[in-house]
Amino acid sequence: MRGRALLILAAAAATLFGCSPGQKKTEIALQRFFGECGAVYGQTVDLAKAEGECGIVTALINKFNAENPDIHVEVNIVAWPGYTQLASQMAAKDPPDLVTMHQGVISDYSSRGLLEPMEPILRHAGIDPAGFTAASRLGVTKGGTIYGLPWDTIGGLFHVNTKLFAQAGLMKGGKPVFPNSPEELLAQARQFKAATGKPYFVQSQLNDAATHVRNLYTYLIAQDATIFPDPKHIQLQTAEARRVLALFKQLNAEGLSTVNQDNPAAIATFLNGGGGVFPTGTWMIGGFDQEAQTPGRPLYQSYAVFPYPRLWGHAASFVDGHSWVMPKRKRTPEQRAAIVRLLAFMAAHNFDWSRTGHIPASQAVVDSAEFKALPHRGDIAPLAQIGRPLPGYVRRQGAIEGLLGEDLGAAVTGQKPIDQALADAERRVDELLEQTD
Amino acid sequence: MSAATARGRWAGFAFVGPFLFFYVTLLIYPLFRGILISFQRADLFGGGRWVGIGNYSRLVADPIFHQALMNTFKLTLMIVPALTLIALALALALNSSSRTAGLFRGLFFAPSVLSVTIVTLIWRFILTPDAGLVALGARAVGAEPIPFLSDPNLTIPALAITTIWWSLGLPMMLFLAGLQQIPGDIYEAAALDGAGRWTTLRRVTLPSLRRTVILVIMLQTAAQLQLFGQAQLLTAGGPSGSSRPVVLLIYEIAFGRWELGYAASAAEVLFVLILAVTFVQYWTAGRAEER
Amino acid sequence: MRARVSPLAWIAVALGAAIVVAPLLWTVLLSLKANSELMRDSGTAFSAPYTLENYHSILNGNMVFRWLLNSVIVSTGTTLGVLALCSLAGYGFARLEFPFRRTLFVFVLLGLAIPEQAVILPQHRLFADLGLHNSYPGLILPGLAGPFGVFFMTQYFRGIPRDLDEAAMLDGASRLTTFWKVLLPLTMPAQATLGVFTFLASWNSYWWPLISATRGNMFTLTVGLASAQMNYAQTSGLGFLMAQAVFASIPIFIVYILFQKHIVRAMSGAAVR
Repeated sequence: MRGRALLILAAAAATLFGCSPGQKKTEIALQRFFGECGAVYGQTVDLAKAEGECGIVTALINKFNAENPDIHVEVNIVAWPGYTQLASQMAAKDPPDLVTMHQGVISDYSSRGLLEPMEPILRHAGIDPAGFTAASRLGVTKGGTIYGLPWDTIGGLFHVNTKLFAQAGLMKGGKPVFPNSPEELLAQARQFKAATGKPYFVQSQLNDAATHVRNLYTYLIAQDATIFPDPKHIQLQTAEARRVLALFKQLNAEGLSTVNQDNPAAIATFLNGGGGVFPTGTWMIGGFDQEAQTPGRPLYQSYAVFPYPRLWGHAASFVDGHSWVMPKRKRTPEQRAAIVRLLAFMAAHNFDWSRTGHIPASQAVVDSAEFKALPHRGDIAPLAQIGRPLPGYVRRQGAIEGLLGEDLGAAVTGQKPIDQALADAERRVDELLEQTD
Repeated sequence: MSAATARGRWAGFAFVGPFLFFYVTLLIYPLFRGILISFQRADLFGGGRWVGIGNYSRLVADPIFHQALMNTFKLTLMIVPALTLIALALALALNSSSRTAGLFRGLFFAPSVLSVTIVTLIWRFILTPDAGLVALGARAVGAEPIPFLSDPNLTIPALAITTIWWSLGLPMMLFLAGLQQIPGDIYEAAALDGAGRWTTLRRVTLPSLRRTVILVIMLQTAAQLQLFGQAQLLTAGGPSGSSRPVVLLIYEIAFGRWELGYAASAAEVLFVLILAVTFVQYWTAGRAEER
Repeated sequence: MRARVSPLAWIAVALGAAIVVAPLLWTVLLSLKANSELMRDSGTAFSAPYTLENYHSILNGNMVFRWLLNSVIVSTGTTLGVLALCSLAGYGFARLEFPFRRTLFVFVLLGLAIPEQAVILPQHRLFADLGLHNSYPGLILPGLAGPFGVFFMTQYFRGIPRDLDEAAMLDGASRLTTFWKVLLPLTMPAQATLGVFTFLASWNSYWWPLISATRGNMFTLTVGLASAQMNYAQTSGLGFLMAQAVFASIPIFIVYILFQKHIVRAMSGAAVR
């Protein structure tokens, strides 16, 4: 019995490890987030047929594999953002060849010498960093060295249900009316709720640090508040920060925002016309716009999207971006050549990627007619000018976001007094930064 | 073993050696290396600098660690007694050879063969306030959905319910096995004495199950003090850490914050705690036995 | 014992069973619905139309097959390894006389008190140094170090009358032959018990594969489904996710139903010890 089991095992192992001779493909391992959608897009190579981040990136890699029969890109999909996994891979000295990385995260890895400087590779791929948008170039440059191929600029936007806005009397000349101060925001939100019976905001507040952090950073930058005075400290116990949290806390307390929703729940609520404004990222534009074009759906012909309105100080937006980075590891010259080809391919298809809703990393694409012809892009274009990343010296941005999200979430939902939440958050972040050397 | 030659004397090592090799390299060595790392400021990517009890004094002052410890205790206290009582009640009710009893035993054990991933996936879409089964039920009767996964007072109960549902099978089977061990003549004697069903249960059945009860409590306590997957997948420890047990914190510190030394020190504290709790339980049980 | 159970108790049991089964049924219902419908309202799961589209998507090339195979290889490998190591060691400790035998046995018993969390971080570093992550040995080896099986098999060997092996030895059989031909066949019930335990534990283990298998093609089912779960917002939808869960549960449920008797006996065996 056992002998037979072993035989079966051996046969299984042979099919797993065995590669038919004569088939000499260069394998490169690519690791990305953006989700898994092989069931829908597994065979798609026509980029026009792909929608959304997952669909487009899947189709892009399918297309690359199809056009480069001598290369096989092995894709590993990690749960967003995938950095715990990447950290354990690096600790195991077995990182992938190419990884999606938020530009804000690069400095963690580059400062420890875990990433390859990319200038020579970009040069081989025929990519000129001078062609990147200013935000993108800033995003991937750490201490004067470029560590990634920037792919886009991402940021928070106000996604609006214009049908409900009209019902609340908040449309003017076909455009939504946005507040210009916290008082106006509260007044409009109350007016909205009175007219529609629905909350003004649909927010993903549950286990979603990004929501809380985006709100805070954006309005701190708007007030010209210094968030990170130096690489070792965050500064949160300020009047500026209290102001921002007090506003979002009051919105929650008055029922002007959904509270108990995680990201999927908030998406579903917005799609079902459950509220006026969904503050979430550029990545949702494609999906929402598709709904807006489908007759019968609650969002049909009632969707618009704009940057966060000015409430204090000046118009501003906290932005980040996606990039492709190369962890340091042993590679054959063939693998390097394959990576160069893949990067060139990715850069050449920057427009296709911008159909996700993100602002492209290539200035030429931003200026192109085909980009401007995409829906809503005129309205969100200002993001490219008002967008600001965190200072390049700030390390552990991902972990900081996680820590901040907990305390900020507790503050705006009333589980913790604002002052205590800010003090706790500040202490925890400082403690974390203290550990970086 | 009179015929044991010098060679024979050592032959035993050939049998126990292979296991001892794995045991020492993969369990004992890591145990001690972990203790060493806990005294270092060590990075996930290698290296380390001796900091003495630095990590431990940080733990003592770290409110997040305190919160995680409290969460772990709460979870254990919520899960272990309930699990033991429900499993015992089920075992008493299902201890018969009838087909129906067998079917029910199979049903109650079934969730135990599922992996934690599937269990949390299922329960997420039972408890989630917007699309979950509980919320649908609440809405159907006009009630507000209960925010099981977002109210800091409800996340730990949510984890407890999920865990009880998942792990009912093993203690129930242990109790059933314990019941099978009770000799039938004790019951006959009890019946002859005219003891009622309730008296028999209290005087005969439960005392005979003492050892099994202790075994179940000890096994479950040690297991629940190490609860990890449910919290990571169902609530991610949130909101604001209200459902984050120690092991999840260890994982986050090591792989999210890369502070291997600090994570190791938290792991050692938990290790000592588990040892202490197990020892106290064993000792209390032993003393009770003597009386 | 012939338990007389009151009707009230039966009602309670039936109610309990309903509570235990409802989540499973809900999962199956969700898996049979179109994702677009569920996105708008999961309550539609209670009414037609139902569809097999999600299962169809799985069959259309999905990592789940690979993960399933990995789980089978890892769990089978671990089980065979544990049975081999523990049978040898159990026989050694129970039957052979050698220097430090008692000390070593106590040394092994102490290991019962070491929880996974106390060793997993250094294990991760050790396996990194050895370059064993993202490999089958990397997933199997940590499962071989647990002392429970040795303890269990030693107790079982001790329960076998010594006359048997002494008779064999008198016939001129070597220790190995005695072990292999005479005693091992007698331990089959214990092997089955230990095997079932080990297989289930390995099949469901989560933390080690989570940090050791970080490449999609080396994921076990547990880890693979976890990544799909955390990804679901941006991906294929609730129905598909549930279909994956159902699909992934089927093999272990089949094993469970086939081996139900063994599992029950395994549990009894654990209690008797």
